[in-house]
Amino acid sequence: MRRLLSLTHPIHLVSGLTIWGIWFVAIYAGLSVACSVAPPEPESDMLTGINVGVGLATLVTTALLLWLAWASVAAGRKAELRRECYFAYISAGMFLFSAVSTLFVGYPIVFLPPCL
Amino acid sequence: MSDTKDATLTPEVRRLQQGMDEVWGNPKGLRALTVVNHTTVGLRFMVTGAVFFLIGGLLAMLIRTQLAFPDNDFMSPEIYNQVFTMHGTVMMFLFAIPILEGLAIYMIPKMIGARDLVCPRLTAFGYYCYLFGGIILFSSLLLEMAPASGWFMYTPLSSGEYSPGPGSDFWLLGITFVEISALSAGVELVVSILRTRTQGMALHKMPLFAWYILAMAVMIVVGFPPLILGSILLELERAAGMPFFEVAGGGDPVLWAHLFWLFGHPEVYIIFLPGAGIVSTLIPVFAGRPIVGYGWVVAAIIIMGFVSFGLWVHHMFTLGIPQLALAFFSAASMLVAIPTAIQIFAWLSTLWLGRPRMTLPMLWIIGFLIIFVLGGLTGVMLALVPFNWQVHDTHFVVAHMHYVLVGGMLFPLMAGLYYWLPQVSGRMPSERLGKWSFWLIFIGFNVTFLVMHWTGLLGMRRRVFTYDTAMGWDIYNLISSVGGFMMSAGVALLILDIALHFRFGRKAPQNPWGADTLEWAMPKPPTAYNFVSLPTVETRHPLWEKPDLSRTIYEGRHGLAHIDHGRRETWGSDALTGKLRETIHLPSNSWWPLFAALAIAAVCISLLVRVYWVGAVATLVAVVLLLRWSWENGAHPGKAPEASMAPSDPPLHYHTMNGPGVWCMSVSHLANGSLYLSLLFGWFYLWTVAPEWQMPDSSPLSMPMLVMGGAALTLGTFWLAKLVRRLRRGNDAGLGGGMYLAGGLGVLQSVLLMAVIWQAQLAPTETAHDATLLVALLYVLIHALLGATLCLLQGLRVGYGYVSAKVPMEPVVVLRFWYFHLVVYWSLFLAIWVLPTVLGGAS
Repeated sequence: MRRLLSLTHPIHLVSGLTIWGIWFVAIYAGLSVACSVAPPEPESDMLTGINVGVGLATLVTTALLLWLAWASVAAGRKAELRRECYFAYISAGMFLFSAVSTLFVGYPIVFLPPCL
Repeated sequence: MSDTKDATLTPEVRRLQQGMDEVWGNPKGLRALTVVNHTTVGLRFMVTGAVFFLIGGLLAMLIRTQLAFPDNDFMSPEIYNQVFTMHGTVMMFLFAIPILEGLAIYMIPKMIGARDLVCPRLTAFGYYCYLFGGIILFSSLLLEMAPASGWFMYTPLSSGEYSPGPGSDFWLLGITFVEISALSAGVELVVSILRTRTQGMALHKMPLFAWYILAMAVMIVVGFPPLILGSILLELERAAGMPFFEVAGGGDPVLWAHLFWLFGHPEVYIIFLPGAGIVSTLIPVFAGRPIVGYGWVVAAIIIMGFVSFGLWVHHMFTLGIPQLALAFFSAASMLVAIPTAIQIFAWLSTLWLGRPRMTLPMLWIIGFLIIFVLGGLTGVMLALVPFNWQVHDTHFVVAHMHYVLVGGMLFPLMAGLYYWLPQVSGRMPSERLGKWSFWLIFIGFNVTFLVMHWTGLLGMRRRVFTYDTAMGWDIYNLISSVGGFMMSAGVALLILDIALHFRFGRKAPQNPWGADTLEWAMPKPPTAYNFVSLPTVETRHPLWEKPDLSRTIYEGRHGLAHIDHGRRETWGSDALTGKLRETIHLPSNSWWPLFAALAIAAVCISLLVRVYWVGAVATLVAVVLLLRWSWENGAHPGKAPEASMAPSDPPLHYHTMNGPGVWCMSVSHLANGSLYLSLLFGWFYLWTVAPEWQMPDSSPLSMPMLVMGGAALTLGTFWLAKLVRRLRRGNDAGLGGGMYLAGGLGVLQSVLLMAVIWQAQLAPTETAHDATLLVALLYVLIHALLGATLCLLQGLRVGYGYVSAKVPMEPVVVLRFWYFHLVVYWSLFLAIWVLPTVLGGAS
């Protein structure tokens, strides 16, 4: 298990995108449920609790992914085997892509109301 | 391998090769149906796929004939609906996926230095499921009963009310049958790539094609189950009246759209990735240098695999989903351009930095690059919500889809066909006929579909069977039809070329294109066992760095070069490093795959004609056959004689506790888990979104009995885990009795679940709530029964000596199944009993 947690393990080729996937499903499902259970007033535009909630989730996820990208680069520098260094650097790229994707996909909360 | 080389072989090597031929050779006559070898079955997949391609192409020509002129009465609307539905269905389900699976099945072991896939009988079973499912589906067209609701079968059009005939049933049952095949191939391709690479081939050293197929196979495993669930639910609605997709009964037709596109969008990438894999294999060979940015391409493959699961709603932009949600999917859709661009720039850079040779396969690659980039650009346009609304359901979408699929899959497939043809036949392709065929198809394709973009922008809806001349679409449709027939002429020429090739093709040298991968180190045409000896490979370009590898392999100078034991063997290696871990003993030819597939075909047909008692009997027969098949496994003497191992070889896989069976079970859980999560999604979706959903004030399910069932399951799982821990320490005392006890607990859980269902008095034909509950309970009941059966069989196998401390793998496999069931059971309990009880009747 400890081996899997090391950022030089190839499992992290997919862990960044897995975090992105979980975030994506969570915001889509959360938005759908929130709009079904407690839709905000249409006049409130994008200044709603739903937008704020999705925004916070987006920022926290992005921060986590950026930190993982940085940590992967650090792990790659310290790696003794070429294979480990290789996977750590590719994983860093994947974390970075996932972080940018999270921001990009979450960005529409700034200009769109949630349930219309 | 040439005769000259044969003449130099020592008698020992000749004996070795004869022995290999005897153990691995394919039988003739009726027993050819028992063949499980990946080369033969892969070719069968591809030939069958090609036949379905021709059928699908013929249907396309009927469509273009009908649309060539306004007010045309070549076909009636009813027949036209069947024809376009079957064209899409045949091309997507019976051609594109299976032929690519066939290519992967044929090619992967050869590329990674293995002798076969890890589950050869599953390969054969998958083929028969595909063949029979395809025949069942196609027969509907001959009977004029074909499905007529479009290839994505939207409800309520495909439901009983609007499609009362058997057409939709043919689709749902036939496609589900074919999908068993896809899942079988998916599971074994994943495990084969991860666990049977030859010695030294670390994960980051394997050919890019294997990365692409690994991603494709994982996507099949995760992506197909939502459609399987959707098909089961829709068939239950049609046959038994369970209202999953009927608003009045508390269902929602949009649920079908979600389940379909959860599968349908990843499927586009499932089709594209192997095509891109062919491109990434061929371009370095013809550029004469390694690919630029191997790591970047690997990253792009993984990103594509993931992001493609986040796009499904972009097929549903007009369904009334809130704009913010649409924006999430629109943004995700645009993101796919990034990994696509990474690959395209990697290919272009490789060509730029190399010395490209303009051969026939490269011509098809160039065609791919042009057409696919155009398709990708219209894809980005369609990802934009306002534009998508504008052209939704028009011929613009049809044109885009064909650019992506034909460009992304058919052109690379043709490139691959010409590239690997010498590997299959030992002969070189004809440049002249091949080029004629290419240009006819390339020009014909663009004439057909480039013009179709305009037809769509002018407002022509897809699937209309004719149009009025006043609409101004006449000339565009006529041009598209002419282009379609030009493309058909190109396909006809291609068939002629291939037919002549096997008779008149010039004899191919050992490595005709100067390739770097291991499939060119084999004799041509290939032997059933691929390699006489299995080499150590620690580079991405084995044949460029060791050009004499084909000779040394042939002369048996590498690993596993002995056959006296009479077993079919290949290496089992570490998924990450490629270090040897075990010798995998592969099963030989068998009737069980054919018999099991025949029994499932009988289930399908009896459900189609709605003779349910025959269906029940056939299901029972299928289960018995599958279990009987599983009986001949591991240390069963019928599988192969047990013999001593060479001292330098690692142990046989069933003497370890982490053999390929354990991996197959784990990968199967991905598929099963995807099915389960789709079911949970359906439950929560209907609960929160369906307008007429009715949640009762209190759950109809007996909590005490559910908890007691869960307790039996938990106890059984922990008991099994304890037995496995003891086995790991080499202690098998009381193993048989322990297995019977776990099986007994499984039986207890099954009985309790049956009691829960009986006691609940559900009305599944009246409300979607009860129907969903029933399906969920049946899902866990099937798992409980299967878990119990497997344990009881293990008890028996311990008695026969097939499972013991020396042969400890099977209980580990069974334990993984129980773990999965444990997680599913308690999470389902939370979803269908705890949450509704806590939240009350909120609908």
